[in-house]
Amino acid sequence: MDFDFSDDQQQLRDAVRKWVDKGYAFERRRGIVAAGGFDRAAYGELAELGLTALTVPEQHDGMGQGAIDAMVAMEELGRGMVLEPLAQTFIASSVLSRYAPADVQAAWLPRIASGEALVVLAHQERKARYRLDVCDAKAAATPTGYALTATKSIVPAGDQADAFLVPAQLDGKLALFLVERAANGVTTRGYGTQDGSRAAEVQLANAAATLVTKDGLAALELAVDTGIAATCAEAVGVMDQTVALTVDYMNQRKQFGVAIASFQALRHRVADMKMQLELARSMSYYASLKLGAPAPERRAALARAKVQLGQSMRFVGQQSVQLHGGIGVTDEYIGSHYFKKLTQLEMMFGDTLHHLGEVSARMQDTAGVFA
Amino acid sequence: MDLAFTPEEQAFRDEVRAWVRSNLPPEISHKVHNALRLTRDDLQGWAKILGKKGWLASGWPQQFGGPGWTAVQKHLFEEECALAGAPRVVPFGPVMVAPVIMAYGTPEQQQRFLPGIASGEVWWSQGYSEPGSGSDLASVKTRAERVGNKYIVNGQKTWTTLGQYGEWIFCLVRTSNEGKPQTGISFLLIDMKSPGVTVRPIKLLDGECEVNEVFFDNVEVPAENLIGEENKGWTYAKHLLSHERTNIADVNRAKRELERLKRIAKAEGLWEDQRLRDQVALLEVDVVALEMLVLRVLSAEKSGKNSLDIAGLLKIKGSEIQQRYAELMMLAAGPFALPFIEEAMEAGWQGDFPGGSVAHAPLASTYFNMRKTTIYGGSNEVQRNIVAQTVLG
Repeated sequence: MDFDFSDDQQQLRDAVRKWVDKGYAFERRRGIVAAGGFDRAAYGELAELGLTALTVPEQHDGMGQGAIDAMVAMEELGRGMVLEPLAQTFIASSVLSRYAPADVQAAWLPRIASGEALVVLAHQERKARYRLDVCDAKAAATPTGYALTATKSIVPAGDQADAFLVPAQLDGKLALFLVERAANGVTTRGYGTQDGSRAAEVQLANAAATLVTKDGLAALELAVDTGIAATCAEAVGVMDQTVALTVDYMNQRKQFGVAIASFQALRHRVADMKMQLELARSMSYYASLKLGAPAPERRAALARAKVQLGQSMRFVGQQSVQLHGGIGVTDEYIGSHYFKKLTQLEMMFGDTLHHLGEVSARMQDTAGVFA
Repeated sequence: MDLAFTPEEQAFRDEVRAWVRSNLPPEISHKVHNALRLTRDDLQGWAKILGKKGWLASGWPQQFGGPGWTAVQKHLFEEECALAGAPRVVPFGPVMVAPVIMAYGTPEQQQRFLPGIASGEVWWSQGYSEPGSGSDLASVKTRAERVGNKYIVNGQKTWTTLGQYGEWIFCLVRTSNEGKPQTGISFLLIDMKSPGVTVRPIKLLDGECEVNEVFFDNVEVPAENLIGEENKGWTYAKHLLSHERTNIADVNRAKRELERLKRIAKAEGLWEDQRLRDQVALLEVDVVALEMLVLRVLSAEKSGKNSLDIAGLLKIKGSEIQQRYAELMMLAAGPFALPFIEEAMEAGWQGDFPGGSVAHAPLASTYFNMRKTTIYGGSNEVQRNIVAQTVLG
């Protein structure tokens, strides 16, 4: 039992933090949001930092690092509200290296590692909400492979990505496919989301697809759990920064002739924010540490983590706005952007109520970190 | 970063588990698992069993007769005790005053007092709060006047937990009115059998006399019972509080009580009731998050790399969880939590509890009793002040 970071992890943190501070300042981010919410050049800079290769296995030109390294990177990206979806890259690395046939791995993982290919999960359907087993997309075998017909929503950077991981029904069972955006039959319609990042509706009309695995639900669950762990870590970074901003503001803003940080009603609110932040950090660690556990244990743990993170994100975000007063609800101030980021992260990969249902359904007689 | 305990720690856990299972009297664990009344003999009996094994002083270094365990070992020990249904060790002797005696007492004081604490023979009480000094502890007024080689103590302490059993009491007393209130306080050990000491139990809302008022009327205390220097008691008291770290979160008991809540919900036919079940699920998330927080503190202590100054958070969250499980157990019993039949809280009661389940008998009382947890040990509002200080400056 050890929650210290290794020297390598500390160096990784420092490197990403430095890039976020120097290379991804708020003004640059604002420009990217205005230009649509995704910047391939910025994604390329993540690749230069080695982040796209981080969890790709070494035999596919990756760094073969684990969930904790990914967590460290996501925390730091969260601090700067980086829009480019590195979480999706961790998902693709994890799912492809665990489930894809060797030739598919060889074709895609090195390109993912280098940042040349951005592969994102396209699983959201209108009827499914957060349920993973609800899927209308259909796959059919063709002489050369498979063809997919589907409508997928809110696909991260969906009109910019190079390929999609798509769950679809094959012979009455969920399978997972890889579809290139450039394939015939693929149309995308991009738009911005509430946090300024980019998403798209993705239509597949008999689009050519490569089978990743017929064990589609298990692969999708791993994808989403990887996404939850990354989201939790990202949220910790966002909350760390949110609390820091709030504290600075309270010490500097004066009313009634004194800093508002001197008022007990507000101080107690900050104590409660600190509580939520530390519970969230603890459960983010828990999420990443459990990512390699057997599926039932992993699923239960990630649902618990997302419940805690969801509650924390909402509380920290809302209270930060309140403690800032009017400035907190302006677009000009960076704080409102952190709040929107937290709001969006709560609703990624299952919101708090959804995961409470998961925890509730999975409860056993005993419970704890190790059970 | 790694969640697993080392093989040595795992082996240690197995050893403790086996020992607790064969040494914890079943009649005591039955009471604990069912929240029935524990007598003085139950509490002290278990303390003596632990004392004989050398484990009552679980947090002590070896030089003072403790096992010299690491923080992780101590945590594992406490977890095994809690899950097995052992009563919580009454902390005033082994956990609270002993570290002060070790750090600031003379060798004579150490030899005189520590063995009786480690063996569980001597029952200690805490004399901190006064009628006018709750959260504002530094305002204590109980006066100790030096006369020759004695102190003459006059005043009143209150909320003295289980003070009716106390043989010795460690007190914060005022020895000076000069300067800041903190600078005139001394740390005095007082024999409760001394003439002039009167203990009056306070009946609480659950009908139990868990706390007491302790009056001092010209009580003569030998000067050799002073710990450290006169007027430095506040420093020693703070040292004492720093030893209340992960202990105060009581996460191990929370895990046991969460199990009991689930048993009660099942027995009431509420396990499929989504409204209650979701509340239990939320509590489960809280308990796991608190356990992770505790483990983080332990890991930080173990490695010494990152100090984690979040004791206030542990107290706040731990106490809120205790209140919540007690509340949910009562609510799960519904109207059958309402009959107040004191005898039904005794083990072995053969009466006919309204509704037929004697398991309901203590639920409301426990709920009422648990309201104390956010008040004692530094109220949660005081804890928030402390947390805010570390964050906001």
